[in-house]
Amino acid sequence: MLSRSVSLRLILLSLIWISGALAVGGWVLSTHFRNHVETSFDFGLERHIEEVLSYAEIVDGKLMMNHRPTDPTFLRPLSGWYWEIIMDGVVVERSRSLWDQVLPFKQVPKRGEVIGFFIDGPRGKKLRVVGEAFSLPGYDKDVYIYFTGPADVIDTSTEEFTETLVTSLILLGLGLVAAVMVQVLLGLRPLNLVRKQLASIHAGESDRMSGQFPTEVEPLVDDLNKLLEHNAQVIERARTHAGNLAHALKTPLAVLSNEADRSQSQAAVILREQVQIMNELVTRHLARARAAGGLGVPGLRADVGDISSGLKRTLQRIYQHKGEHGVSISLVNVRGQDVVGDRQDIEEMLGNLMDNACKWAANRVRVSGERVGPDIVLSIDDDGPGIPEDLREDVLQRGKRLDEATPGSGLGLSIVVELAELYHGSLSLGESDLGGLSVRLQLPAA
Amino acid sequence: MRVLVVEDEPDLRKQINRALSEAGYSVDEAPDGEEGEFLGDTEPYDVIVLDLGLPKVDGITVLNHWRQAGRDMPVLILTARDSWNEKVGGFDAGADDYLTKPFHMEELLARVRALIRRSAGHATPILECGPVELDTRTGKVTMDGSAVSLTAHELKVLSYFMHHQGRVVSQTELIEHIYDQDFDRDSNTIEVFIARLRKKLSSSLIKTHRGRGYSMSPPGEDV
Repeated sequence: MLSRSVSLRLILLSLIWISGALAVGGWVLSTHFRNHVETSFDFGLERHIEEVLSYAEIVDGKLMMNHRPTDPTFLRPLSGWYWEIIMDGVVVERSRSLWDQVLPFKQVPKRGEVIGFFIDGPRGKKLRVVGEAFSLPGYDKDVYIYFTGPADVIDTSTEEFTETLVTSLILLGLGLVAAVMVQVLLGLRPLNLVRKQLASIHAGESDRMSGQFPTEVEPLVDDLNKLLEHNAQVIERARTHAGNLAHALKTPLAVLSNEADRSQSQAAVILREQVQIMNELVTRHLARARAAGGLGVPGLRADVGDISSGLKRTLQRIYQHKGEHGVSISLVNVRGQDVVGDRQDIEEMLGNLMDNACKWAANRVRVSGERVGPDIVLSIDDDGPGIPEDLREDVLQRGKRLDEATPGSGLGLSIVVELAELYHGSLSLGESDLGGLSVRLQLPAA
Repeated sequence: MRVLVVEDEPDLRKQINRALSEAGYSVDEAPDGEEGEFLGDTEPYDVIVLDLGLPKVDGITVLNHWRQAGRDMPVLILTARDSWNEKVGGFDAGADDYLTKPFHMEELLARVRALIRRSAGHATPILECGPVELDTRTGKVTMDGSAVSLTAHELKVLSYFMHHQGRVVSQTELIEHIYDQDFDRDSNTIEVFIARLRKKLSSSLIKTHRGRGYSMSPPGEDV
């Protein structure tokens, strides 16, 4: 599923790295901030240590305080703000706020070093402790001075900071994800364009990809165009080969059938029949190969106006000696009614239908075009005898079951039915206002 | 009546030649477009049967050349190419009829007959000239309703006159349209044929125009 969409892949991947980077960044920032808060807290306590130190002196090996810190927070009982002076493991002085308590300090600083740590103080309050070791004149061991402050000052400001930080990071993350999505969509737009163009090629609206593509996509488009061209050439070659084969077979078939016509033997009868069958097979499969090949070729469009006027010219010539004045063919509204399809296939369908109409007409044939929704309906009408309603279905059906059809009959119409179906069109028969048959050929408009 | 068959398949060419000859035509053959075009340019054919897929020069090109040069003899295209596209192309190039392979020889003969008849301006297959009737489909000749037996050459001469009634036909024209190109032509034989026709039909049927040729017209119409 992940591999199906490049956009999804890119967005999910950036989601992972964005949340990772933001989590690490947030952790680093909040740790750093806490350290900073602790350092400045410690710094405050150190100043008090220095103050106390300045009041202390050793007299006769004992500590004397000629002054006590006046900061009221160190006077308020159990405020969390405490201090102690320890000599030789014994608390010699302590703040008033400690009341009757003694704070046990497990960590002991070395001289010249400031240590900071946390302990649990009275009433379970967490305390931040800063301790320093000093040497005072008149005493050969170290004097330890510890100051404490309530740790919740640090915790609260750190928490407040972290809260703000997390909110901003989440907003930043959302912003980044949005930016990534925009980037992915914009960045992949050429690919979407490629997809759309391929779809239109598939729909037969164009035969190659056109337009400006980014340098990264251009080679792909070029290759696709080359492939399309090659494909079209292969199909065209195959169709030409099919055509050549079919036509090459027809001359020997002509020789065989002529030879058979000269003889009355049983063998000649069979030969005639088989030649007839072979001819129909060749004709039908040629038409099918042509049409099937044509379907794969994109961008097919047949000019019905042009085709029908060529057919009119030819058929009027063929049928000029029919009846008194030949057959007159009128074309009504066929200009601009282009249909999807290979020109030759459309010409084949129209030619067979118009030829049929001319064959049966008294002297008038009419070809008219009409747009019906997404389709073009071409009606071929004649003033001949027509076909009774109950037989019309049979005439069309015969095309479907051509293999069982009697030789030589209905091949033209069956090819039309087959081609129409291949092109997603349809053929129907009706009564004409001219008095004869009306054939309606419906094909998708181009 | 002289017919040119331009067809590259030797067997088919032979079959057509045989069928046309049996039907009383003088037939010339050309195996490719080049020779076909040359013969069509230089010999007076009454109809030409032309294949489209020919070696050297294709049939449509040959036909185009003839028509551009103003040669208007009837041309029947005989081809395996049976799509409407090609039919339209053939007629647009100036063909008079189009027959697709495989075909029945009777069909070809009927088309050739119709082309010759129409090019001479006749609407029906039975030609009449006074008491003489010629059925172009069967080659049967009747005089006042009773059958007359003619030799192949006599029939050829009569047929040419029947198709071109009311105009003077020179001996040269007659020879050109009756014999194929390989035949040893002798103008004396024409006189013999005409004498025989006059004897078998009616002495007044074919008139001699001294120095110009012969003519055949229905009674009451003079040239």
